[in-house]
Amino acid sequence: MSMLPYAVAAWLFGIGLYGIATSRNFIHLVGCLGICQSATYVLLLGLGYRWGSIAPIFYDHPPGTPAVDPVMQALVLTDIVVGATLTALLLVLTIQAYKRGGSLDPEILRPMRPGGQPDRGASRADDGERTAP
Amino acid sequence: MTASAAALLPLPVAIPLVVCAAMLATAHLLPGRLPDILATLAALAVAVLCAVIARHAAEHPLVYWFGGWEPHDGVHLGIGFSVDEASGWVAAFIGLLYAVTFVFAWGFFGRTHGHFHILMLLFLAAMVGFCFTRDMFNLFVWFEVMSVAAFALTAYHLEESALSGAINFTVINSLAGFLMLGGIGLIYARTGTLDFEGIAAAVARSGRDPVVAGAFCLVAAALMIKGAIVPFQFWLADAHAVAPSPVSVIFSGSMVSLGLFGLAKLSAVVFGGSDQLRHALPLLLTALGGGTALLGGWMALLQRHLKRMLAFSTISHAGIMLTGIGALSADGTGGMLVYLVGHGLVKGALFMVAGILLATRASIDEIALRGLGRGIGPAGIAMALAGLLLCGLPIGVLDQGTRLVQGALAQQGRGMALAAGAIGAALTGAAVLRAAGRIFLGLGPDPGDEAGAPSADEREKANRPLWLMLAPCCVLLALDVALPADLIEHAVPRAASAFLHRPAVAALAEGPAWLPWTSLTAALAGAGYGLFRRRLPALVVRPVSVTQSAPTRALEVLHSGLIGDYAAWLAVGVAVIAVVLGLA
Repeated sequence: MSMLPYAVAAWLFGIGLYGIATSRNFIHLVGCLGICQSATYVLLLGLGYRWGSIAPIFYDHPPGTPAVDPVMQALVLTDIVVGATLTALLLVLTIQAYKRGGSLDPEILRPMRPGGQPDRGASRADDGERTAP
Repeated sequence: MTASAAALLPLPVAIPLVVCAAMLATAHLLPGRLPDILATLAALAVAVLCAVIARHAAEHPLVYWFGGWEPHDGVHLGIGFSVDEASGWVAAFIGLLYAVTFVFAWGFFGRTHGHFHILMLLFLAAMVGFCFTRDMFNLFVWFEVMSVAAFALTAYHLEESALSGAINFTVINSLAGFLMLGGIGLIYARTGTLDFEGIAAAVARSGRDPVVAGAFCLVAAALMIKGAIVPFQFWLADAHAVAPSPVSVIFSGSMVSLGLFGLAKLSAVVFGGSDQLRHALPLLLTALGGGTALLGGWMALLQRHLKRMLAFSTISHAGIMLTGIGALSADGTGGMLVYLVGHGLVKGALFMVAGILLATRASIDEIALRGLGRGIGPAGIAMALAGLLLCGLPIGVLDQGTRLVQGALAQQGRGMALAAGAIGAALTGAAVLRAAGRIFLGLGPDPGDEAGAPSADEREKANRPLWLMLAPCCVLLALDVALPADLIEHAVPRAASAFLHRPAVAALAEGPAWLPWTSLTAALAGAGYGLFRRRLPALVVRPVSVTQSAPTRALEVLHSGLIGDYAAWLAVGVAVIAVVLGLA
């Protein structure tokens, strides 16, 4: 069993997380999240792989031929669906946040501000935010 | 009889999914309030069915294999649901909470083609599936469905705060999903099965195995992210504070505690056979839980945005539940399950009061709302009662859960966790009582450190009569107070033992009776200090405000709202869990 897939998976997750931690742009951040997810693809495929086996389709092979683990492939397939959903949802949220906040920078688009004060940087005059007394 | 009851198992998941799909297809045709009625009825049906299932599961767990794919010779190919009594009752509670929330949100979302109800029903189906499943991968699927529905519901208002809160929530919980999937892959690679029982048998055989520990580390981290345990708690304050108030009811009342429910199930049932984990878990879980209880309570006390304050209070109570799991005993787990229901009822009622204030007084800021609650006295009484229950007023379900958790911790000599839980509960109670006093009695003209806390103004539609919003809130509180104590006392030992797959115990230990009173007194003192600071002698006020301000600012800086910081803390948290498990 080669350690390479596991090392690659850990490395991918690590750099993805580093990217998220340091990102100043939400679209870049969504890409980094995708890299973290690729780590799970590599890990799962690495776990299910067997050297010298066929794909788990027995149409033109006799039953009993060694095949790679089909369960792992099913997991990866589900994972890809989840990934597509998340990316789409995050990009929609990002577009909407850009429309309202005028920025893609997480530093500017914070959920709340101290004392309910409107933020200085962004053009946010029309969003109904009110200075607390 | 049992066979026919087992055939009911898919229904509580199927009904909301079918209603949700039918509503999605016909949303543009449905007149007026029909989506509200359909959704409420579907949630009620789920609650009733789950209660029936739970009653039948009292003897022994019910099992249902989809498509009849039963295991043969120890090989599990199919996917199954397996419901013990405790899981059934938790699912019934969730169904009920949804039904009450649908009533609270009656007409709230106006002409939205029922999208709110569709997402909520999907969310409900995922939660019930999460409670019922006995398959690791199925658990992951429900976890993700739950997350996706929650992400969309958080951003429902499409306002700036809501959007950035939802993005933080989505990114952190997606990372949780990836961690969980990695853990599931590892455990499958080691044991060759995804079925809970199959994995449990293989784990018990395997002895000390780094792959099993690694898999548990990843899965536990994912569930703790969902359960908002320090240092994974950051997303919760952002998401719960900006979500529409009916959604926050569900988030705080059931989603967060469901993460911990999953952790309790997995650590007891699936990974319970590993000696390494059994040694490491009590310390790890009680330490993290105690820390979470303290941090959440302290932060709650420093907030001025009501929903954000309640969110931190949820974090604190999640910590207390985690200490219950950490006892790894029938007492602790039974207490945690009772606590889950009690906390859901009380916290749901509190978020409804926040929603009432948003709708009728058009603000959510404690300081801006001072004295404005005078016209809606019943809401004030509900809020004060809920605050007292949170910090340990010794009546009702929440108190029963608290005493069981405290009993389990006292029995195992975990004084630190016990004290942390009591202090955390007192702090959150103090925060709620202070807000109630300020808003409904007009007390506390002079805000302390909370004046500098983050806040954002928002509004919710004032298109509902007050009684319609107040009734569900009162129903939740009445349920918490009035559920017969001896019924729970009778059922919990049996249900908790079955949940843990252990032989039944006769009775559970309870904590010292004076402890809830101490929490209650401390909470009243804390609330009194916040409200009457101006009238107290400087000798008292100065030392308190000096010791309060510096840690306050440090903690506020940590809760920065920046997704990058949260990701870094997530890495730290996973590393801490890995180190503790590795050293055991």
